[in-house]
Amino acid sequence: MKDTKESFVTEDGRHIGSVIMEMRNITLRFGGVVAITNASFDIREGEIRAIIGPNGAGKSSMLNVINGFYHPQEGEIWFRGKKRPSLRPYEIAEQGIARTFQNIALFKGMTTVENVMTGRQLMLKKNFLWQLLRIGPALDEEVVHRRRCEEIIDFLEIQAIRNSPVGSLPYGLQKRVELARALAMEPKLLLLDEPMAGMNVEEKEDMSRFILDVNDQYGTTIALIEHDMSVVMDLADRVVVLDYGKMLADGTPDEVQKNQAVIDAYLGVEH
Amino acid sequence: MFYREAGQFKTSYAEYLQALPLREDKVGIAIWLLLAVFYVPFFGLPGLEYTFAMNAIMIPVLIFTITALGLNILVGYTGQISLGTGAFMGVGAYACYKLTTYFPDVNIILIILASGFVSAAVGALFGLPSLRIKGFYLVVATLAAQFFLEWCFIRVEWLYNYNPSGAIEVPQREVFGIVVTGAAASPATRYLVVLGILIFLTIIAGNLVRGRIGRSWMMIRDMDIAAELIGVRPLRAKLSAFAVSSYYCGVSGALMVFLWLGAAEVESFDVNHSFLYLFMVIFGGLGSITGSYMGAAFIWTFPILLKELGKRVFDIDSIIMENVSLVAIGMLIVFILIKEPHGLARLWQLGKQKLRIWPFAH
Repeated sequence: MKDTKESFVTEDGRHIGSVIMEMRNITLRFGGVVAITNASFDIREGEIRAIIGPNGAGKSSMLNVINGFYHPQEGEIWFRGKKRPSLRPYEIAEQGIARTFQNIALFKGMTTVENVMTGRQLMLKKNFLWQLLRIGPALDEEVVHRRRCEEIIDFLEIQAIRNSPVGSLPYGLQKRVELARALAMEPKLLLLDEPMAGMNVEEKEDMSRFILDVNDQYGTTIALIEHDMSVVMDLADRVVVLDYGKMLADGTPDEVQKNQAVIDAYLGVEH
Repeated sequence: MFYREAGQFKTSYAEYLQALPLREDKVGIAIWLLLAVFYVPFFGLPGLEYTFAMNAIMIPVLIFTITALGLNILVGYTGQISLGTGAFMGVGAYACYKLTTYFPDVNIILIILASGFVSAAVGALFGLPSLRIKGFYLVVATLAAQFFLEWCFIRVEWLYNYNPSGAIEVPQREVFGIVVTGAAASPATRYLVVLGILIFLTIIAGNLVRGRIGRSWMMIRDMDIAAELIGVRPLRAKLSAFAVSSYYCGVSGALMVFLWLGAAEVESFDVNHSFLYLFMVIFGGLGSITGSYMGAAFIWTFPILLKELGKRVFDIDSIIMENVSLVAIGMLIVFILIKEPHGLARLWQLGKQKLRIWPFAH
């Protein structure tokens, strides 16, 4: 990966743009505990960026910083060329950042298609009075967005469960519904927190294919946390390695794999 | 055989998103409506004396259905538990009383609908703590609202026009020459007015919960963290739920006093009633409009019908029957909630599902 500010095209023909999000010297503390120490990295438009590291390294905290659950004590976050002030999570959603959760956070009382429909929440604009009448523009709006949701459901191949309550679905499918919900937001930056945790090999392959498809077809920028190194090395354009809240390395999967500090702290050596 | 979607094709999303996509459901609702509009006002209920059927069963059941709808929006759809329902109904009733005192010539139905807004404002105000506290702690906060408002209904004499008895007495009001409130109003008139308002409010509730606002409520209920990340503002979602819910409660409170009781004091709005409404919602089915109907109808009519049964069939004294019915309803609630925690609406849904695939098991 070239270290330039300009956009370029990768070997496999994907278009990587300029920097969309930049974390500068982020430090996050909870009382006396330092979760992240002076971490800096950037995410380019259109790339798949992986954040790896052992348990407790601060990966999920980093995602929580990005989408506004935590506010770092030090450091700056730059998003789309602007320094981002301290915002609430829903304001960050309005800026176009979506995410999935490590422990699935679906709306259990709703069906698959209703869950996906919640992703369109910010795009539904008609006010209270129209909602209450549910005729004309309010219904038209609902229909337009419903159609988009059905397309996303088709795209992720979950048509068969579209009317099932999500609580009763198997784990792998729930993860996929959660991805569908995040995609329905049409995000500029998609954060995936361990999208393949607890899956078997086939489910992991499916999920990897969907992540690549999403990146390819919608051009969505993706930042993901994952523990399966083979998946990370295959999917990611660039990898950040965290350990005890400190940055160990930042680079292409090949560079990171050869980095001695990363091998010592996380990857280990084959015996 | 009689109830299935086979052969009913939907060719657009608009058709698909209807409230009742199945033809059989539409026919069913139409039959209920026809009975409610053309049979009940003239003949009451079969086997029961007419005024008794209207005054003791039909009118209160319809009024409590409005309450249950409102409370269900808050508890069932938004997941915020409230024990202040009785007091919010009181706010509606007193607001209606004051408004009709100041504007005696304005259509009383409009005044009843307007008094809901006062209740909505009070409800939203007491909903503010819900942004910080959840679950049992929120119950305690709404209980505080209940006691504070009850205190107001006693101590603020202006609310009942300094009436020495401390009660509000409903004046006679006419709409287009027909007496709607007061002692001279016929049961049929009062029933039809309540029915009209109930149908109107049911349609609105159905529209709201299926659209953007209802989804934001359910998102907050199911997973508030994820909801916030998708762009739902918790403040707006929770307070709108409190406001809409209290609006329904306020309207039903005003209807209760003006079209049913005729006079009321603070006892009509006490915490026991709040519990009763919560029973209706939980027993009928949380997060279900049909459930609100079923819960209100069941919790209100079951003791009355049991009492009638005891009197007619076994010739038991009605005071004994009153206690028997209390025990019976308590046991029934426990039994059904163990068997089916999602209430009567869920049983109804399961029954329809069975009917849909009948005569097969799967």
